[in-house]
Amino acid sequence: MTSSGTAEAAKEEIELALSAFHSTFVEAFAAAPTEQVLRDEKAKLLGKNGSLTAILKRMGALSADARKSVGERVNALKTEVEAAFDARLREMVAEKRKAELEARPFDLTLPGRNPIGDGHIHPISQVRADVIEIFRGLGFAVFDGPDVEHEANNFTKLGFPPDHPATDMQDSFWTKSRHVLRTHTSNIQVRAMTTVKPPMAFIAPGTVYRRDDDATHSPMFHQLEAFLIDENVSLAHLRGILSEFAERMYGPGTPIRLRPSYFPFVEPGAEVDVGCVFCKQPDGKRKGCSVCKHTGWIEILGCGMIHPVVFEHCGIDPEKYTGFALGMGLDRVAMLRYDIPNIKLLFDNDPRFLAQF
Amino acid sequence: MKASLKWLVELLPELSKLSADDVAKKLTFAGLEVEGVTPFGAGTEGCVVAKVVSFRPHPTKSGLRLVTVDLGEGTQEIVCGAPNVPDAGGLVVLAKLGAYLPAKDMTIARREIAGVVSEGMLCSESELGLSEESAGILILPPGTGNPGQSLIEAIPHVRDTVFEINITPNRPDGLGHVGLARDLAAVLGVAFAPKRAPTFGADDVPLDVDVKVVDQDRCPEFSTARAVGITIAPSPLAWRYRLLALGVRPISNLVDITNLVLLGHGQPMHAFDLAKVRGRAIVVRTAAEGEPFTTLDGVARKLSKDDLVVCDGEGPVALAGVMGGENSEISASTTEVLFECAYFDARGVRRTGRRHGLHTEASHRFERGTDPGGLEAALATAVKLTLEVVPGAKLSPPRYVTGATANTTPRELTTKVVSLRSSFMTRLLGIAVPLSDARGILERLGCTVHASGEGALDVALPTHRPDLSREVDLVEEVIRVRGIDTVPTELPPVRGSRAVGGREALEHSVRRAAASVGLSEAITFRFTSAKALADVFAKEATVVLENPINEHQTVMRTSLLPGLLESLAQARRHGVRSAGLFAVGPVFLPSKNDLPEERPELFAVLVGDRAAYLEKPAPVDAWDAKGVALALVAALTGKEPEVVTYTASERPAYMHPRAAAKLLLGSTVIGSFGLLHPDVGDKYDFAEALPFISLDLPTLAKHPRAPRYKAIPKFPASPRDLALVVHDDVPAGQVKAAILASAGPLATDVELFDRFTGGANIPKDHASLAFRVIYRSDERTLTDAEVEKAHAKVVKEVEERFGATQRK
Repeated sequence: MTSSGTAEAAKEEIELALSAFHSTFVEAFAAAPTEQVLRDEKAKLLGKNGSLTAILKRMGALSADARKSVGERVNALKTEVEAAFDARLREMVAEKRKAELEARPFDLTLPGRNPIGDGHIHPISQVRADVIEIFRGLGFAVFDGPDVEHEANNFTKLGFPPDHPATDMQDSFWTKSRHVLRTHTSNIQVRAMTTVKPPMAFIAPGTVYRRDDDATHSPMFHQLEAFLIDENVSLAHLRGILSEFAERMYGPGTPIRLRPSYFPFVEPGAEVDVGCVFCKQPDGKRKGCSVCKHTGWIEILGCGMIHPVVFEHCGIDPEKYTGFALGMGLDRVAMLRYDIPNIKLLFDNDPRFLAQF
Repeated sequence: MKASLKWLVELLPELSKLSADDVAKKLTFAGLEVEGVTPFGAGTEGCVVAKVVSFRPHPTKSGLRLVTVDLGEGTQEIVCGAPNVPDAGGLVVLAKLGAYLPAKDMTIARREIAGVVSEGMLCSESELGLSEESAGILILPPGTGNPGQSLIEAIPHVRDTVFEINITPNRPDGLGHVGLARDLAAVLGVAFAPKRAPTFGADDVPLDVDVKVVDQDRCPEFSTARAVGITIAPSPLAWRYRLLALGVRPISNLVDITNLVLLGHGQPMHAFDLAKVRGRAIVVRTAAEGEPFTTLDGVARKLSKDDLVVCDGEGPVALAGVMGGENSEISASTTEVLFECAYFDARGVRRTGRRHGLHTEASHRFERGTDPGGLEAALATAVKLTLEVVPGAKLSPPRYVTGATANTTPRELTTKVVSLRSSFMTRLLGIAVPLSDARGILERLGCTVHASGEGALDVALPTHRPDLSREVDLVEEVIRVRGIDTVPTELPPVRGSRAVGGREALEHSVRRAAASVGLSEAITFRFTSAKALADVFAKEATVVLENPINEHQTVMRTSLLPGLLESLAQARRHGVRSAGLFAVGPVFLPSKNDLPEERPELFAVLVGDRAAYLEKPAPVDAWDAKGVALALVAALTGKEPEVVTYTASERPAYMHPRAAAKLLLGSTVIGSFGLLHPDVGDKYDFAEALPFISLDLPTLAKHPRAPRYKAIPKFPASPRDLALVVHDDVPAGQVKAAILASAGPLATDVELFDRFTGGANIPKDHASLAFRVIYRSDERTLTDAEVEKAHAKVVKEVEERFGATQRK
């Protein structure tokens, strides 16, 4: 026989084989009772020893022309098999899901399993609780407030004029209904002053939002604010409270220092450093370390005397009352306390992270 | 803001007595926070001026040359690879043996290069750390120092200390060296009187430009001067290095002048090529809506009618206070220049900058508020510098334009006078500052101060301090300069308040309870996406963000579930199989008020296996959820809630149809537990159904834990065990309830302590339930007969009602 004759015979043989199983796999797939059987059925065609695979292996014996036309048919068939398989598999998954959902309900009247208690409170919550506890001890009470806030409470009444560059520091989230996601907990100052008569001593822990998202900023973070309003509250009193807070939070003898700074709603305003707790020596000196950038000091909060304009906006007479406010970032305080290097870790909630605190 | 120590010392010689670190400290504690102190040109320390005597090619190595330089006391041959060695007589810079070049981290040593010994290196600007890049070695202009002289002596500006200062937005005066020096003078307690450049102007050079300000609100002060006979050239090296030290690229003498005025006075200036100013006219007006204008950065812009523009006779030549125009830019061929030195309304500049996405050194200052009274000094400096570096330049006298009127002197600005009371200051600070000290400080800051009766001062506020407007501002100035740490530390008598809201306390008690039942707290973002909420079949969000930061955080959550599942899914991807996480916090719901309701919830999800002791771990299931739910409610309320399985119609879609129950106290639903619908788990690639617990905190808070003492039993209990075989579709709880009900008052407790299916004695579809019934009386020890009688009723009841048989 000539080689062309061989090719001709091979072609006939292949075409016979193709038509032989063409109509059968749909039924076979439909009849498969389990996923495993379905997969076995598919393997009969497309597996290593599958019949379609066998045909593909014999294509070499065909003439170039025949190889093309038969090849097209084989490939089309292959696609058809895959599609039928996928459809049947989806059907099976759906059937299984349906069966699972419709099976007899679990007996929820059986007693619950007693839980084993080794849970952990998030480090931010722990720090917040500690700070609240300290301020409670100093006579302050918690004033709650919302995350979604009126522009007036977050900005205007605190003395941010519209367009003022100070809002550069406050790139904020706005809602479709023109409310702002509070950019600080200072909105509580306004809420307190407009609803409670002085004197007052409040702390305001809260979640705050700014449009910053990079290695050191999270668009959502946590603050705690404390403010005292009475007839003769002075900067010396603010220092007194700050100093007391530092000693209760970071240990007796922890020094503080103030650096003048600017926040629109306080005047005078300052940033507060505490003596570094990481390189403190037994004699109370700080030798400097990487945490405090070798300065011996760590910045922890901002503070100041409440600006008279805030009192005026809230209907309190600034000639009669004075007050101070201080605010800190709880995320930062937690990171410092627990030596957490990256703010993102706080919000990933990896159980292996949470279990450490 | 970058500031040069050398420049500050020039303005305030007293600073030369302080170290750079001390100056930085003074600035920081005056509220001008120094964030970095960096040396500039440290590589110039061991360098000298060298004069080229001759050069010849390297004997063996092509591309290298042997340059003989004169170092004053002798000559030296240096191997040099630069292509631009000047001819004999040219001045270059030689780094001598031992010199350290920080930019290259290299110490100059004796080196043999292809057989020739070289003891030094001819340096480029970048090797010296003076600029980022340079082509070839630095060639000094003729007459720069003497051969052998140290480079720092020859050009002092190559060596400086640069402060990076964080200027808060209220202190535009700190955006120029003069303002910084003024604050330092106030802190050091010395008078500050910056040298005024002399008045100037040759009357034979008229302004010869028609200047008119149409929008006086947006441009209350405008001044200008014309310079003729200009030759554009590079600036002297002293200027070049001062600008480079401050991070400003030197361009040409005239452009550099405007930059030096900006860095010195904090006053932005602009220089127009007057030959390109059409019609020899300048008009300051607001733009027409849609007016086209191409700024210096080459961007063609469409202006708004709110944009202020400086125009020539035909159209805009500058976006006022923000950026000049391409059409009037200084070029190499410029010979005639018009200086613009103006005060633009801060808010207008800010709006224009925002609108066009432009933030420039000029707009940065204008939008914070420049000194409306500072034009004369700034313009005078510009003129002085022009005369200094452009031989043959001639200047017109300055003109100060108000509306259509041009004057030869600036107009008198009215200054606000504020009273400072000693009593107010003492009350606010908690320390008595002598009024004379306060006066000295305010005067050094540029205020004009008069005594005003007993214990008060009248303080005229300087125009360079737009942040000062009322008494409290003056108190701040006094204590800022005097030292805020001079205030004593005193604990206030706190007249306390009562808590308002109570949400934080509630949430924290829930946190403690949740941790006590084995859950760990996740803090998840309160914003999420509409899709994430839809994936868990949560309510559609009502609080939608106008300007989300990304597509995953577009709405405020209506469910805590997406955040929790995301955390758990991520943990699973990181190989953590088992976990129980809870989140506490508000969901954001529609309300009748203007603001949404922020309703605090607890949500917990369990995944993986429960803790096991020396046995094969088994996956958590709905009864773990039930255990946690009941333990939580017990911890928080002291009560055991009723567990009621949800009917299909009331069951929330995120719950599994086969395992979803609500928790009731009385008739109020306080929460739920069960399994999550598998379709929810699918979205986060969880193949198993996840147990969950949810509590509605405001409802829960209505049932505070209030334990009441109950007498401890005095008489012994009589337990009876009851093993029943019932059809396995009978809920065990029903059997238990029936036992309790039928046993009568003597039964105090019933506990299911064993359940199993299969086994030899248990028919198909049946389960064995073993109960322990506790019989007890508060009055006496029960007799066996009493107990047996009651128990017999129980047996009868369960046999009749559930078809139960007793397993013997």
